[in-house]
Amino acid sequence: MKKFILFTLKMLALTIVIAVVLDFLYTAVYLQSSNRGKIDHIYNSKNRNFDVVILGSSRANNHFVSQMFEDKGLKTFNYGMSGGHLFEASLLLKLMMERHYKIATVILEADLNLSNDHQAEGISAKFLPYLHQSETIKRHFEQEDDFKELYYIPFYRYIKFDARIGFREMFFSVIHKKTTHLNNLGYYPLGKKPNANLKNNIVNLKPLQHNRYYEEIKQICKANKINFIAVMTPMCENTEGINYFDKVQKLYPEIHNYENVVVEDKYFSSCGHLNNTGARLFTAQILKDFFNK
Amino acid sequence: MFFNSLAFAVFLPIVFFLYWFVFNKTKNTQNALLIIASYYFYSCWDWRFLFLLVFSTFLDYYTGIRIEKSSTEKGRKFWFWLSVGVNLGFLGIFKYYNFFSTSFAQMLTAVGVKASPILLDVILPVGISFYTFHGLSYVIDIYYKRIKAEYNFVDYSLFVSYFPLLVAGPIERATHLLPEIKVKREFDLEKAKEGVCQIIWGLVKKVVIADTCATYANAIFDNYATMNSWSLILGAIYFAFQIYGDFSGYSDMALGISKLFGLDLLRNFNYPYFSRDIAEFWRRWHISLTTWFRDYLYIPLGGSKGSKAMQIRNVFIIFLVSGFWHGANWTYVTWGFINALYFLPLLLLSRNRNNLEAETLKWNFDSVGIIGRMLYTFSLTCIAWVFFRAKTISDAFLYLKRIVVNREFSSQYLLNERYNYELLLMVGVFVLVEWNNRTKEEPISGKYNTVKMALAIVAILAFGTYSDYKEFIYFQF
Repeated sequence: MKKFILFTLKMLALTIVIAVVLDFLYTAVYLQSSNRGKIDHIYNSKNRNFDVVILGSSRANNHFVSQMFEDKGLKTFNYGMSGGHLFEASLLLKLMMERHYKIATVILEADLNLSNDHQAEGISAKFLPYLHQSETIKRHFEQEDDFKELYYIPFYRYIKFDARIGFREMFFSVIHKKTTHLNNLGYYPLGKKPNANLKNNIVNLKPLQHNRYYEEIKQICKANKINFIAVMTPMCENTEGINYFDKVQKLYPEIHNYENVVVEDKYFSSCGHLNNTGARLFTAQILKDFFNK
Repeated sequence: MFFNSLAFAVFLPIVFFLYWFVFNKTKNTQNALLIIASYYFYSCWDWRFLFLLVFSTFLDYYTGIRIEKSSTEKGRKFWFWLSVGVNLGFLGIFKYYNFFSTSFAQMLTAVGVKASPILLDVILPVGISFYTFHGLSYVIDIYYKRIKAEYNFVDYSLFVSYFPLLVAGPIERATHLLPEIKVKREFDLEKAKEGVCQIIWGLVKKVVIADTCATYANAIFDNYATMNSWSLILGAIYFAFQIYGDFSGYSDMALGISKLFGLDLLRNFNYPYFSRDIAEFWRRWHISLTTWFRDYLYIPLGGSKGSKAMQIRNVFIIFLVSGFWHGANWTYVTWGFINALYFLPLLLLSRNRNNLEAETLKWNFDSVGIIGRMLYTFSLTCIAWVFFRAKTISDAFLYLKRIVVNREFSSQYLLNERYNYELLLMVGVFVLVEWNNRTKEEPISGKYNTVKMALAIVAILAFGTYSDYKEFIYFQF
């Protein structure tokens, strides 16, 4: 029995050693990567200057045409992330500050994402390779339920989020395989889908009275003297519970309601996302209203 | 509580410690602990069904004794059919009632009589097909005087409820497991080490092969109408490896865990995808179920004796029942039917007992023929698996039809955000590892086993699928 216990301990030790080595290798790879997505792009950068930085979910990513800002002489990047919540938008802005970005204006898409203040695991996982290297990321995750496991158990983060930061993603980082996330200055244009579902039901969605990460973004902008613009972006006409946007307006009067600047179905790719033509109309309105361009 | 869960990783060492250090005085204390652990293990799914398990155990225990003690044939028959009837009755109600009710209503509707099925709001008790078959085999063996009835209730309960095999087999026989249970187990270092290696290899099969294949197979099967021929072929192959990795991985873990307690269970898989014909495939796939049906259904029906017509009837019965055992859906029955059709030519040409010896490959044309036959058999099983996996029979036919008519063989980006071909390399490596170790029960044992173990752990950690967790497929049966 003593021999078996030793054998078991040996196997356990072997597992821990392998986990530590794999954790080290994966992290080393991600620390070198800067062309796979917006998070590693920011993490492995320094001292960038922007006139406009766009933050939010896919409703920012697909709605703000960065090139139109550039054409008007405004250095811009769209850091909107499909599937992301305000948890990730806030952390992204914190990372930019940590890396001494100089930003004149932040445009935040704040509408449907105000209904929760938890992380979008699929997106937030992309920050995890840097958990031990960045104090900002560590502090941001500290309040999360699984922080201790993610922080202290070697390789656990890569196992738990294997679809996002597992072997496949690590391998693509090693071979420097490019993604489309950084094309078009971060803006991702959508096409018109022939059988798009241009209906939605957001009746059960309720904006939080106090969204922690929205407030954080506001505070960071204030502290760093960044002009902060929060906007609600368009939804298709056939949306049940469209008064959600009025509720947001009541709770957060400073958020500009652009929900109904583009209304016709022909400008939508899906109910919550404009197509490229719609996005251009919307961006033109934003440029006119906030930048006088 | 799954074998690959954190809860089980805590449960197993505790039971192991108590078994060898606290309850190791006699076989009775060992068995008592294993029974308590097994009931706790089962109640982690749904404690209410524990009563069903205990009732089923008590029924077979009691009827077994009554069959043995009955002085008249009438009495023996009464207790025998009582046990068989109640066991199959439970299985029928919990597993098949809604299926029969719906099918009957559909049949009436088809002949113009409006009917809506009366459905029961019941969930399927985990492992009911497995423990019912344990009990049935025991009672049948007593009835045919192959074994003596077991008078120790704890020993018998352990035979039915032993946690490594409780929810998804292997389906044990009283002739094999009861004698092991009836003696005190002494710790065997080599057996325990073997057990650890087998658990690790089972984990590789489950989390690396089965769960990864599942994400691709699901993306393809759930959207088959938009897939091209190449994706559909790959989907069938991925599902073949998913179900193999899932079920044989579970069996490996069950066998390995049991070895830690000094008990050997029946081997359930013997590298089935290296079979040279369908008959050989069925001698290597889910062996404990196949042999159960052979011994308790096929042979009593006459087996391969009698006229060709009777033999054909028996083959169809055994395969249809086997398909139906898997689940209350016509897709499983069709899967069984297709396998019977595959088997038929072998039976008619009296070739179903060919390929009994192990295959050997050399650098000659015979080996090319052997590989060709293996690939042909694998292709046939993949076609049958399409019916097993599809939601309906018409979905399965449309899936197969699309392979033929689409004729596009380009790479396709799937809904799981992966290309259809990405997994081929991993599946290929897995096949090579299995091929090189096909004479052993599992590949980690033997020379350089620390290196092999390290590689297996690397595979589990680095290549396993965790974020899209899948339950073991056979738990639903």
